[in-house]
Amino acid sequence: MKNVQDSQGYQIVSDWMEKKGQNPFDFQLQTWNQYHNGYSGMVVAPTGFGKTFSVFLAVVIDYLNQPEAYKKGMKLLWISPLRSLAKDLAKAMTIAVEEIGLDWQVEVRNGDTPQKDRRRQERLMPDVLLTTPETLHILFSQKNNSRFFKNLHCVAVDEWHELLGSKRGVLTELAISRLLSLSKSMKIFGITATIGNLDEAQKVLIPYKNIKTKRIVAKEKKKIDIITVLPDEIEVLPWAGHMGVKMTSKIIPIIYENNTTLIFTNTRNQSEIWYQQILKIEPDLAGQIAIHHGSIDAQLRNWIENAISDGHLKAVVCTSSLDLGVDFKPVDCVIQIGSPKGIARFMQRAGRSGHSPYETSKIYFVPTHSLELIEAAALKQAVKDKRIEAREPMVLTFDVLIQYMVSLAVGEGFNEKNLFEAVQKVHAFHYMTEDDWSWALHFITEGGNTLKSYEEYHKVILATDGLYKVKSRRIAMLHRMNIGAIVSDAMLKVKFFSGGYIGMVEEYFISKLKPNDHFILAGRVLEIVTIKDMTVLVKRSKRKSAITPSWMGGRLPLSSYLSHYLREKLAESLHPKTAEKELKFLHPLISQQEKNSHIPGKDEFLIEMIETKDGHHVFMYPFEGRLIHEVMAALIAYRLSLIKPLTFTIAMNDYGFELLSDQAIPIDEETITDILSKENLMEDVIGSINASEMASRKFRDIAVISGLVVQSQPGTRKNNKSLQSSSGLIFRVLEDYEPQNLLLRQAYTEVFNEQLEEVRLKDAFERISKSKLILKFAKSFTPLSFPIKVDSLRQSLTSEDLDARIKRIRDEVLKQT
Amino acid sequence: MSIITKDISIQNEVLTLTNQRALFWGLQKTLVISDLHIGKTAHFRKAGIPIPSAILDNDLKKLQGLINYFQPEIVLVVGDLFHAEQNTDSDQFRDFIEANQNINFELIKGNHDRLKNSFYESLGISVYKTHKDVAAFRFVHDEQHCGKDIFCISGHTHPGVLIRGRGKVSIKLPCYELSEHRLILPAFSEFTGLNTKRTVASAICYGFTEKSVFEI
Repeated sequence: MKNVQDSQGYQIVSDWMEKKGQNPFDFQLQTWNQYHNGYSGMVVAPTGFGKTFSVFLAVVIDYLNQPEAYKKGMKLLWISPLRSLAKDLAKAMTIAVEEIGLDWQVEVRNGDTPQKDRRRQERLMPDVLLTTPETLHILFSQKNNSRFFKNLHCVAVDEWHELLGSKRGVLTELAISRLLSLSKSMKIFGITATIGNLDEAQKVLIPYKNIKTKRIVAKEKKKIDIITVLPDEIEVLPWAGHMGVKMTSKIIPIIYENNTTLIFTNTRNQSEIWYQQILKIEPDLAGQIAIHHGSIDAQLRNWIENAISDGHLKAVVCTSSLDLGVDFKPVDCVIQIGSPKGIARFMQRAGRSGHSPYETSKIYFVPTHSLELIEAAALKQAVKDKRIEAREPMVLTFDVLIQYMVSLAVGEGFNEKNLFEAVQKVHAFHYMTEDDWSWALHFITEGGNTLKSYEEYHKVILATDGLYKVKSRRIAMLHRMNIGAIVSDAMLKVKFFSGGYIGMVEEYFISKLKPNDHFILAGRVLEIVTIKDMTVLVKRSKRKSAITPSWMGGRLPLSSYLSHYLREKLAESLHPKTAEKELKFLHPLISQQEKNSHIPGKDEFLIEMIETKDGHHVFMYPFEGRLIHEVMAALIAYRLSLIKPLTFTIAMNDYGFELLSDQAIPIDEETITDILSKENLMEDVIGSINASEMASRKFRDIAVISGLVVQSQPGTRKNNKSLQSSSGLIFRVLEDYEPQNLLLRQAYTEVFNEQLEEVRLKDAFERISKSKLILKFAKSFTPLSFPIKVDSLRQSLTSEDLDARIKRIRDEVLKQT
Repeated sequence: MSIITKDISIQNEVLTLTNQRALFWGLQKTLVISDLHIGKTAHFRKAGIPIPSAILDNDLKKLQGLINYFQPEIVLVVGDLFHAEQNTDSDQFRDFIEANQNINFELIKGNHDRLKNSFYESLGISVYKTHKDVAAFRFVHDEQHCGKDIFCISGHTHPGVLIRGRGKVSIKLPCYELSEHRLILPAFSEFTGLNTKRTVASAICYGFTEKSVFEI
């Protein structure tokens, strides 16, 4: 091995660092050394320790050592999942090259890049280009694009853990495959935070056997302080359903004690509510706090992000929109409202505070109902054990493949045989068969049906030079507009009548409102003036309250790692260790549960039967998260209906689920084993759910990504009206006329992998079959069952009614005990 | 194909609703349909979206079945016969008309029918620009040409109805939407979406399946 430290390039770079009073971290040095020796690889390091400079400076050093090996144009391509990240990275890199004395150009290219900059880049690419997977694919769809990449020395994929596990990850895999075909000796580097499946993550990024790889793991660790915010008193029944706003007064002092606090909520709806609530309790904070989520206009978000960086804000209520992104130096405190649903996400959010190396991250956990205190204990344990979730890579996503094939056909065209060989090497399509491939090829050239080709369908044609190409300008234009794998719901822009965008709301939400109705967005009460051209025109309202939009897809499922810790902590909760103040605090509630029913031990599974005047309830507690519970509840209902025809209403939360019937439910010590049996599991699941309906919902994204549905852009007038159709309609038509369509098959596969989580479901039943089943009869709701009940009330009632009704149920229960 | 019918009485006339997205007016020997959107699937294919061409085959087979069953003298299309431009689908429809020479095809122009009149004439279709009045009824494509004091039969909205079951089960069906002054027909073509918003709040819906036509 050559030692990079003997090289001249290293000397220049380390001199530069020394002048700034810095020393390279070990992992940076290792990365430089590896690059120097011709390796690719993956860098695993926590944020704030200079991950960027590990790979970036490796290329700089190599260039300084052998400038003659580098030609004009793009040398390093930097792919990052976030647009906002790129701008600041480019700034840091530019400063570095200037101070080191290189004449490199560092530039960003994404959807926000002005036309004239793009044209200039296309004439001569900058030495370092920072971009997103989508923009890279759009580049592939340009004429003569291979010249941009032929002198590329290195491609770096930043925040790889964020891309892995999504279709954007597949876009990235395919992009690397194409880049490799253009620049054969290019090096590939991934940069990632710690995840549970690092080996796999590296294999997905670099599946190529002829490339030498090594993994570099930083020894530097981020210290995290987790502080649970306890309520003043514990109530006998958990106060679920109030969104925990009672806790607001507890977080005001925390905001004042720190410079800048990020307050993370799980949904956009929740963030709007908390923002209002904080201002109501502490009006003095007006002007010092802000709200940030994905449906707020990009300009407004930029402004807020800058204000955080400059230290102008005391607190920002946000959602996962601020999980990633630029380091905010002033942020020294993070508050997590309610369950973060996963260990990785919790740690990621904690890491947003105390960003510089060796600083401690501080995160406050605010439970939104008492049982979440168990979650606090579980999270602490998991962080201590360093158990972080894996990100499962997606495979056989034919929608992305079809998009990629058409992109290439729009660009320079592709040779069928070469592309097949290249795509098969990509991790996601490793198991693609030749039949699958010829189906995909047929799909883009002749339409779907294999028996009959459509004469007017000329999407991709075989040109005389033997390459598959798109000739129609209209098809090329429609395709370019559609490139990407992020599918948003039909959104409308919200704009002030007097000018200025505020954000976006779902079409579904706004369709229920009329002019003069009020709603809240970005913390402001707005009145609808009119709706036209996919834009809602509004004016400011003087009202204090209004309805808050709910955005679909807000509810995240609980990760299986966290659910494991939850079950463990609940089992221990009767006899908490002295250090676990959350569990000690919860003790009155736990003993109430034990008295009226039972606290399930590690190897036990609890079933509660409760009879109220609403009817007969069964509660079960698998602690597997809402999505799995939905499936399990439907399955149990199905199995019960085989014993006795019954209709049920179903409710669930992350801890358990409820079946409610007006008649007695045939569950007893004898039947319960069969009902919870792991035999015939998937057959019964298919019998119990409407798989076609679920697949139809999954098909939405697939239809958009594969170009079957033309998306209308929010705020634009041109919406290709004569080409509008819903994905549901196309799904139905394909099911009737072309059941062998691979995109349909993909929709069903996605239902099984993501919705039904087949593997996890099987594991859960495996676990249950090994557990002791504990069947308990209770006279009234128990502390465990109550939050599930309340959640189901919430779906059908407005908030005021709900509070009254919860209070009534609680009073009734308290009278009995 | 099994044709199920349900007779309803409007303005003292008997109209027959079918489960095949068509209305038959026995007294006038007229079969009324709406929103065929011929050429829609080919229009999509031209833009690079592969929608199966068998949809049109099926729509036309269904129409032939209705003609054979009711033996009408007139087939009246209340708008949106053609979706967009002339394409291969229109040729297929020309063959269909030629095979049914004893029938008068009539069209009230809809918002999608933007082809030249000479084209319709070449097919032998009589075209009404906005409406056609017959006895107590006015046939139109959409609301804007409905009169105040005349009962209007139209298409355009593609009415559908959502039936909710217990829990989260729900299904969407095409339907006829009947209100005091208006009857809206379901879209005839299978490649059309369903609109569950009612034009008149108090409207009654007649939904249908393979086996029945029923009031909701």
